[in-house]
Amino acid sequence: MKPTLFKGWRIAGAALLSVALLATAACGKDGAEGTADGTQPAAPAKGSVTLVIGAYSVAKDAFGKLLPEFAKQWKAKTGQTVTFQESYEASGTQARAIAGGFEADIAVLAMESDIDKIQKAGFIDADWRKQFGDNGMITRSIAVMGTRAGNPKGIKDWEDLTRKGVKVLYPNPKTSGGAQWDINAMYGAGLKESEAKTGKKDPAYAKAFLERIHKNVESLDKSGRASMAAFEYGFGDVIVTYENELKGRIMQGVAYEEVIPASTILIENPAAVVDKNVDKHCTRKVAEAFLAYLHGEEAQHILADYGFRPVNASVMEAVEGDFVTPPNLFDIGYLGGWDEVRSTLYSPKGVWYQVLAGI
Amino acid sequence: MNFIMRGRMWSFGFRSTIMLYFIVLIVLPIIGIYSQSFKLGWLPFWESVTDQLAWEAVLLTIKLSVVSTIINVLLGTMIGWVLIRYRFPGRRILNSLVDLPFALPTAVGGLMILLLLGPNSLAGGMANKLGFEIVFHEPAIIIAMVFVTFPFVIRGVQPLLEELDKSEEEASYTLGASRTRTFLQVIFPSMLPGIISGAMLAFSRALAEFGAVVLVAGNIPGKTLIASVYIFGEIESDNAQGAAAVSVLLLTLSFLILGAVNLVQARRQGK
Repeated sequence: MKPTLFKGWRIAGAALLSVALLATAACGKDGAEGTADGTQPAAPAKGSVTLVIGAYSVAKDAFGKLLPEFAKQWKAKTGQTVTFQESYEASGTQARAIAGGFEADIAVLAMESDIDKIQKAGFIDADWRKQFGDNGMITRSIAVMGTRAGNPKGIKDWEDLTRKGVKVLYPNPKTSGGAQWDINAMYGAGLKESEAKTGKKDPAYAKAFLERIHKNVESLDKSGRASMAAFEYGFGDVIVTYENELKGRIMQGVAYEEVIPASTILIENPAAVVDKNVDKHCTRKVAEAFLAYLHGEEAQHILADYGFRPVNASVMEAVEGDFVTPPNLFDIGYLGGWDEVRSTLYSPKGVWYQVLAGI
Repeated sequence: MNFIMRGRMWSFGFRSTIMLYFIVLIVLPIIGIYSQSFKLGWLPFWESVTDQLAWEAVLLTIKLSVVSTIINVLLGTMIGWVLIRYRFPGRRILNSLVDLPFALPTAVGGLMILLLLGPNSLAGGMANKLGFEIVFHEPAIIIAMVFVTFPFVIRGVQPLLEELDKSEEEASYTLGASRTRTFLQVIFPSMLPGIISGAMLAFSRALAEFGAVVLVAGNIPGKTLIASVYIFGEIESDNAQGAAAVSVLLLTLSFLILGAVNLVQARRQGK
């Protein structure tokens, strides 16, 4: 009695397993086409599809608006209901999670090098930058300073952060991609200043500049979002953060003030389809449509409403009045590109470590 | 015969269950940590441990744990004494509230400190005016550690006080000893093993505290970053070896403390 029962279960299990295997195999081959498999009548194109979004924490508010908007359009176009599973984490943490097997269909991160991390783990095909134009970026922003209402400490530029008694907040660049932009901005501003004084970029001067600001840091939080939360609890006089993060808060009616330093960095945030996961989930079609939507005018306008600087040129023209361009705006290329920044600033004994250790 | 067999089977079953539990949940993970930290050999281990930010974090942790343990010894002994020796309304409730820090998620403790002592709160605002920094500085870390390790000393002292033979105390008074002398020579010595083992447990727990501290410490390396948060940060930045090396330091320290606690308790039982 017992053995036969056992055997029966085993056969059932094996059958189930093989069905599951077949299904995934079928999906992996023609995920792009969607359904059409002669033997299996169940068509996943109609009905519903789930898209897993792995994003960096700052994108949360804007995505709260973008996702339902896209779902509505997709439903109208294909009749398919999209449901989203969203995860928001510090960019570096999110990248590590996806590279470590978190099955996100779409990665929206703070910086290219985090997408590169996922690509190196074999989840994204090499041409993600070209696939949807704009060099793979969906938003731009700049690193700015935020102060309390009325700017009581009279902050005007980075230099003011080094003053005695000014409490500064920025997140930890070891865990947060956003923070790397912030640190890059201050380090680059130091380089710009040394260049203006001596005509040459002086890394030692930039490091000393960063060190002087770091002396006033009150808390190194895990992510840009956590840092903003601490600022909202009432900690610190100045927060170094993305312009969009600050604009978003101001838009919600919090009386912060945005201070744009004379020289700061142009931030660019990428998004990519995680090829391996969409093929596995059979969601390539909808995932690619979503990315195309993000690059489109409508989404770019929504993103601009949330304080991001659009990558789409015509949208940027339309909203240009909302954004101030600082005189000495530089991009990551000024610091030598991400590879250079990673090896000089964030390597184990790099500039950032030296600033922390005070050497 | 049958009965004995069954008895043996039972005892074998129990013993192997306990051994399995012990091996799977304690021995294997510990071996894993040690082997991970020495995976690349002695030199990388040594470099990870002597990394300035690493040992600064460990030293800060030890320093703050010592302070919080001292606070706990003083407070805990007093509270334990009061809860056993005095009768007052609400005593029972207070007594059961002592264990609250064990039952609460430690992050909740951290959040409470953040809300109670943050700059927007009454206490935090006052401290700010007086020029004190609490949250994101060392005091907040100590408060978090004290909160989390609060029950150890109290629960160490209480049974000893309950066990204490009333007649010993009475004898002391009859022989003409003063109240102070009776306390110092009769009562205190019998409380001491409880205080010591409670303090050691509190100390090793404070060393390991993460959830409450991570919220209220500024987590600035070299300034307010404690060892457990350092370990977390190293894992977050893909340096598992560095994280394991510091873990080994903490683990070894905890083992030494546990050994010492056992010694103290063995001496007490021997007596």
